[in-house]
Amino acid sequence: MAAPAPLGEEALIQSMKAGDDHSYQEAVRTFTPGMLAVARFYLDHSSAEEIVQDCWVTVIDAIHKFEGRSGLKTWLHRIVANRCKNRLRSSNREVPTDFSESLEPELAGRFNAKGRWDLPPKMQFHDSADKLMENGALSDCLDKHLSALPETQRSALMLYEAHQHKSDDVCNILDVSASNLRVLLHRARQKIFLMVETFQETGEC
Amino acid sequence: MLMCRDLAVVASDYIDGELAGLQNLSVKMHLMMCRDCRTFIGNLRASTELMKAHSSIRPDEEFMRRIDERVAEALKARKEDSGDG
Ligand SMILES: [Zn+2]
Repeated sequence: MAAPAPLGEEALIQSMKAGDDHSYQEAVRTFTPGMLAVARFYLDHSSAEEIVQDCWVTVIDAIHKFEGRSGLKTWLHRIVANRCKNRLRSSNREVPTDFSESLEPELAGRFNAKGRWDLPPKMQFHDSADKLMENGALSDCLDKHLSALPETQRSALMLYEAHQHKSDDVCNILDVSASNLRVLLHRARQKIFLMVETFQETGEC
Repeated sequence: MLMCRDLAVVASDYIDGELAGLQNLSVKMHLMMCRDCRTFIGNLRASTELMKAHSSIRPDEEFMRRIDERVAEALKARKEDSGDG
């Protein structure tokens, strides 16, 4: 038997308010990856998991006050971000940031003194993204590189590209300025670009 | 004049349509003349699409199962508290 079709957001919220187990399971499946991405912007891996678990428990009560102005995903991400910020405040830790330079050193080194390409991109990525992702080795390589990104860059990337939040929402959730978000995104994209280039040239990750 | 390196600095802003008119225009003009930068922008755009097609943080099943359990317990406690059972 096929799995039941996912509920629309409004129906999902209503049945969560009614305390339905299955709707919570569906919501957990749908929203946990993004919530974890937010938490990992602030905290180490295991604290992030702990916060996300705790958030789901608070959601059971908080959902009754949810008025639907922001969309369920944004609302959940804000809850996670606020909890993380509180945790950081109580432990006096600073959010790690590096917004000083917008070019990756490896890319910056490919221009000559006049600002022209010394080592230009050698080839065009010829396949579409979906086609590229069919290559299992490349997909694994991407996983590896993403997990090596600084948390700040990865979270910005996840929220903006994978979860398609608006810039304003990402800034709000991660508590960074619009210009810092631009730097985070650009740095992360350059890393992915460099990775795919190496992979296409050498077949190695 | 805009050099290749300058273009690389603002490449993501260009792709996302975040550049102001004049700057956007000078990037466009540079791209008309510079094949290397056209390749670079194309590849950076492909990298962006790749990110959209891929989501890196896949929580492990054990973690998801623990959340389901905790939520189920909390729901049960809530129902008992509300007192019609
Ligand atoms: Zn150029």
